Amino acid sequence: MKFVTYAQNLNDLNRIKNFGFNEVILGHIDFSRFGKLSDEEFYQLAERAHDLDLRVVFEWDVLMTEEKFHPLALRLPNLLKWIDVLRLQDPGAFEWSLNNTQLPLQFIAENGNHNLRGLQEWADYAHDRLERIILSLELPKNKIEEYCQQLKVPCELLGLGRILLFYTPRLLLTPLVEEKISYNQEIAAIGESEESPHKGFPIVENRHGTFMFHIKEFCVLDHHAELSAMGLSCLRFDLRWTDFSYLDAAMSVLKNEKSFEQFKMSFPQDLMKGFYLTNKTDVLFPKLKNHRLQNRQGDYIGEVIEAEKGSHLAIYVKNELGLKKSDRLKILHPKGEEFFINIYSLRNLALEDVEAVAGDSVAIIQYATGVWVKSHVFYA
Amino acid sequence: MKKHFPEILAPAGSLEKLKVAVLYGANAVYVGGQKFGLRTAADNFTLDELKEGVLFAHQRQAKVYVVLNSFLHDKDLAEIPDFIKFLSEIRVDAVIVSDLGVVKTVASLTNIPIHISTQASTLNVEAAKFWKSVGATRIVLGREVSVKEAGLIKREAQIEVEMFIHGSMCMAYSGNCVISNFTQGRDSNRGGCAHSCRFEYSLDLGLDSMEKKKAYFMSSKDLEGLRILPDFISEEIDSLKIEGRMKSHLYAGTMSKVYSEALSFYQENGHFLSEDLMSWEMELKKVSHRTYTQASLVKPAGPDSIFNERENSSDSEWQMVGKVLEASPKTGIVLEVRNAFNQGDTIEILPFNGKAVSIVANEITDIMMKPLSRTKPSTLIKLPFVDGVERWQLARQKV
Repeated sequence: MKFVTYAQNLNDLNRIKNFGFNEVILGHIDFSRFGKLSDEEFYQLAERAHDLDLRVVFEWDVLMTEEKFHPLALRLPNLLKWIDVLRLQDPGAFEWSLNNTQLPLQFIAENGNHNLRGLQEWADYAHDRLERIILSLELPKNKIEEYCQQLKVPCELLGLGRILLFYTPRLLLTPLVEEKISYNQEIAAIGESEESPHKGFPIVENRHGTFMFHIKEFCVLDHHAELSAMGLSCLRFDLRWTDFSYLDAAMSVLKNEKSFEQFKMSFPQDLMKGFYLTNKTDVLFPKLKNHRLQNRQGDYIGEVIEAEKGSHLAIYVKNELGLKKSDRLKILHPKGEEFFINIYSLRNLALEDVEAVAGDSVAIIQYATGVWVKSHVFYA
Repeated sequence: MKKHFPEILAPAGSLEKLKVAVLYGANAVYVGGQKFGLRTAADNFTLDELKEGVLFAHQRQAKVYVVLNSFLHDKDLAEIPDFIKFLSEIRVDAVIVSDLGVVKTVASLTNIPIHISTQASTLNVEAAKFWKSVGATRIVLGREVSVKEAGLIKREAQIEVEMFIHGSMCMAYSGNCVISNFTQGRDSNRGGCAHSCRFEYSLDLGLDSMEKKKAYFMSSKDLEGLRILPDFISEEIDSLKIEGRMKSHLYAGTMSKVYSEALSFYQENGHFLSEDLMSWEMELKKVSHRTYTQASLVKPAGPDSIFNERENSSDSEWQMVGKVLEASPKTGIVLEVRNAFNQGDTIEILPFNGKAVSIVANEITDIMMKPLSRTKPSTLIKLPFVDGVERWQLARQKV
C-alpha cells in the first residue's frame, strides 16, 4: 500500500522522503482549500520534491463559480511543469484538466459517490487518465472492499485526519471579529451548540470560505492491514492541523513498532472510525416519516376532513371512482385503529341526498363513533 | 427578436400543493416520490398521486419534474429502475438527479430529460459541459452562481440552466454538508438533514475576552430575487425555481402567483413599475419567511446574508385560514378551515389572478347551516358566495 500526505514546508518534504513515500500533495493558496503556498513557495517545494524523487500532486479542491474559475484555470498552465498529478473534486476542474492538460488525474469522490456505478462512470469518462479515486469517508468497509475489487482504478482513503463537515464560500466568522487584518488572514474558532450533543467543533475561515470539522479526527490506522488485504491502494495522512511529527508516530503504528493504543493515547485529538464499521445513516428515516401520510395506495378513497360528533363525517374523495351509497368503507384512524362502516346517508356540499359523489369532491356521510379528522378512507 | 422568458418552477410537497401551485400560475412543479428525494419527512407522492398530478399539470400546460436527487447508495440505486420505468410511463417531464450513477441509470432506461440537481453544486462552464456530455439536458446551478455567470454558463455550455429565485438556502455548498451524518446519524444527502446550520453556536474565537460569542453564524437568510427578474430574462435563464416542498399551501400558492404575475407583467410591458414591485414584495412578505436576501444572485453573498436570529422567528403577519373547497351561488363558499377566525373578521381570498378579495366574515355557518361565531381548525364552514371566488383558492388573515 502507498502512503501520501501534505507538505507545507521543506522540512515536511524531507521527513516524507525518509518514510519512503513516493508522492506528496502540495496545496497552492489559490487552488487548495487549506493551501498556503504562493507561486514561489510552490515552485520551491515542487523542485525540492522532485530532487527527492517525490511525485508532486497538485490539489485543486476549491469549488469556484465561473468568475473565479476561468482566470484561475488560465493560470494553471504556468504551474504545470512542476506538477506530476492533478487532484480534483469539482467536475468543472475535472473536465478542464482532461481537456487542457496531459497529466494523470486523481478524483476526490469524497462528497457522495456512494455507488459503484457512479464511480465506474467517472473512471470510464476519464479513460486511462484517471490514476486514483479518493473514496468517501461515509463508506463502510464492505463497500470499500467491493469498490477496491471492482473498480479498475486504484482507490485511496483517509487514514488519519480531520473530518470536514461543512464548506461554504461565505465568510461566517469575519462578522464576529472586530479587526480582520487582511484578506489572507485565517480565522479559527471552536464552536458548540446546546442543540448538539457534541462540543468543540473546529471552525476555520480563510479566503476560500468557512469550514467546520468534526470534534474527533478520522483514523483507521489500526485497520491498515485489513485495508491492504481489501485491495486499498493508498492511505492518506492529513496532519495540516496537527504537529507534523505525529507522522512518525503514525508510521510506527503501520510498521508495528508502536501499538495503536499508544498512538491513540499520545495523539492530541480524540479519534473515531466514522462509518468504517457500518453506515446506518438511513435507519432513522422511517421514524422521520409521517405515518399517517403513508399507505395511500390501492383502495384509497380519501381523507376525513370534518368529523362532527353525532352528526356527520365529511370525506374529501381523492380518487377517480368516487363514493356510492352502497359502498362499504374501511376508515383508518390516525392512531392506527380501523373502523368498518356501510354508507347509508350520502350528501353533497349543497346538502342534497345523492346516490354517488364523484372523485375530487366532498361527500357527507353519517357520523361513525371514534373516527377523527385526518383518518384515511379505503374501500373495504 | 422575441425575448426569452423563463418558466416559474414551484415546489409541490403533495398532490394538493401541486394543484395549488399550478392553478396559481406555476409553469412547472417539482415533486418527490416516496423514496430517492431529499425531503424524507414531506408528504411526498404515492404512485397514484404522481399519475394524477402529471395529468392535472399537463391538462393545464404545466410540467412535472420528479426529484431523484439523493446521493444514492448501491442498495438505493438497485431499487430505482422500476420507479424510472413508471415515471416514463406516466410521462413526467424530467427527473432531477445529483449523482453520476443515477444519471447513467436513468439514461440507460428511458429518454426522460435529466436535470442535474443543485446538490451537485454545478458552478462553472466546465462543470456544465461535463454534465451535458454525460446526458444532462438542464443544470440546476449552485446557489453561489450569479445570474450573470449563469447566462455565461448557458451560452458557453449550450445547455438549459435553472436558478433558484426564492426560498430557504443551504449555507454550505449543496451536497457539501455532512453535519447531520456525523453528529446525528442522519444522512443529510439522503433526506435526513437535521438543520444543524440553524442552531445557535457559542464560538470561542481565541480573543482576549474570555466571553464566547453566541451567534446563528451558519444560518442563511432566505433568497428573494423578484427585483432582478429582468436580469434573469436578459440572461435567458430557462427556469426560476422556488424552494420549499415542505412549506405550506399558502407558500406554494403565493409564490407561484407573485412570480408568475410579475413575469407576465414584464412580458406584456417590458418593464416593472415601482408600485407593482412594492405590491408583489408585500405579497411575498405575507408568507412565513426569514429576512430576505439576494444572496449571490448579483454579487457573492456577504455578511448581510447571514440570518443571525432564532430559527422560528418570522416577520410574517399573515396566516392561512383555509382553502376553498367549493364556491357557487348554490353552496356558497365552503372553506376547509386551517386556522380559526371569528365572526366579523376580515379575511382575504387570494384569486388565481389579480388582487386579493377582502371578505368580512359576518355570516359564518357550519356546513349544516348552523350559525357560528368562531371557526375551528379542521372543520368545514360556509360563507356567502362572492363573485370571482373559485375552488382551490386560499384564504388568509392578518394576525
